[in-house]
Amino acid sequence: MAEQAISVSLLTGEIKRLLENGIGEVLVVGEISNYKLHSSGHRYFTLKDSEASISGVMWRTRPLNFVPQDGMRVVVRGRLTVYNAQGKYQIDCVAMRPEGIGDLHQAFEELKQRLGAQGYFDAGRKRPLPRPIRRVGIATSPTGAVIRDMLTTIERRFPSLEVVFRPTIVQGGEHASRDIAAAIEQLNRCDVDVIIVGRGGGSLEDLWCFNTQVVADAIRSSSIPVISAVGHETDVTISDWVADVRAATPTAAAEMVTPVTRQDLLMALDALAREMTNDVRRNISDMQQLATAFVDGRAARRITERILMRAQRVDDLSTRLARSASNRLQRERIRVDHAAALLTSLHPLAPLQRGYAVIERNGHVLNATTPLQPGDKIDIRRQHDVVQATVDAITNVESTKGTSHGKDKG
Amino acid sequence: MAKTKDEAPKSLEEQLKRLEEIATLLDRGDAPIDQQLQLFEEGMALAAGCRAYLEQAELKVQTLSGENPVIP
Repeated sequence: MAEQAISVSLLTGEIKRLLENGIGEVLVVGEISNYKLHSSGHRYFTLKDSEASISGVMWRTRPLNFVPQDGMRVVVRGRLTVYNAQGKYQIDCVAMRPEGIGDLHQAFEELKQRLGAQGYFDAGRKRPLPRPIRRVGIATSPTGAVIRDMLTTIERRFPSLEVVFRPTIVQGGEHASRDIAAAIEQLNRCDVDVIIVGRGGGSLEDLWCFNTQVVADAIRSSSIPVISAVGHETDVTISDWVADVRAATPTAAAEMVTPVTRQDLLMALDALAREMTNDVRRNISDMQQLATAFVDGRAARRITERILMRAQRVDDLSTRLARSASNRLQRERIRVDHAAALLTSLHPLAPLQRGYAVIERNGHVLNATTPLQPGDKIDIRRQHDVVQATVDAITNVESTKGTSHGKDKG
Repeated sequence: MAKTKDEAPKSLEEQLKRLEEIATLLDRGDAPIDQQLQLFEEGMALAAGCRAYLEQAELKVQTLSGENPVIP
């Protein structure tokens, strides 16, 4: 023992220098235990084998692309150093990877079993997607094809949708996991109808951030239905299991939130417009016929004629309409002035141009059921003039054999 | 027709619903012809409005700022 006592700090500094210079950088394989992710983001753990153990620390700034679990065999690279305050030597890790892919698979299976036992995957707590969907939250990487593909798909199918995009780290380990969970939480406050979390395909390590309890918890606590769209068809993650709906790919998720496309709606609108047009045309045609019968003594014969003409006219118009509808669809554009043109052609006075007459009283068109009395003043509107007339008599028409007429009086 | 950002999708639904009502009424055909023409006019205007809305719609994307951890 030296005569001169030295301080603990000095001694520790000496030990530290010995270890750091004497051993320095190491590459060590061992089993992880007591793994702790501190709220600061730093990770503390013990590496051990059957006979020895050593403390390890990995600062939050060191990237880690998977989530270490106790019992997992890992290879770490780092420097041997001393934690002065506790007189403890430890490895300051720069990098860590699972020793074999088998460990990741095993960790995945273990977590899946544990969460399954806790009811995370119960079919009963899965919610259906709402209808209609107006706003969608998306959590994925701001770079790469995935967000672009999803936005392109949504824009092509139903551009009226609103998208709230939360750029998210979706590659690798803990940072990504925490960011995904934060994104789900944040999107829950954004008045969206559904949330998509996803990323493109990758290795099990790449996708690992979706295989964590943090993400499982975030999805489970989401009050908004979550679609998990991770990787390709064959990649299944914990996130997929917990989510309300699993989409095979991000693009498939984009299709799910746009179940009715713009094209569907345009075609439905077109069909509705066509139906309305046909119905009104038919109803007006009926009315026209009966109105004409009032002023035409030879009603019986003419009615048959009219019916034939009407049939022909409906044929003509529907052919024209069908042709114009298909043209419009081909152009994917439906002209707004279409409605105006149809309205003009359907105006009740339009048939006057074809020689028909319409009966009016006080400016209102009379139809077949409007009550009329002898002595009533009526106007008979023809194409170029209006005949003022007084009703002489009203005779009910029995089937098509009867007659009825209104007699003109100067 | 509504074109404002907040209510457009909802009012699209409402407009479509009204349009279907009108189509049903016209199909039934028992309303007075004047009223039918009014309904028809309303229906065609709705259809044209919905079309215009759908055709003019552009995808709106709002991007949030995330909390991006620092990775060296």
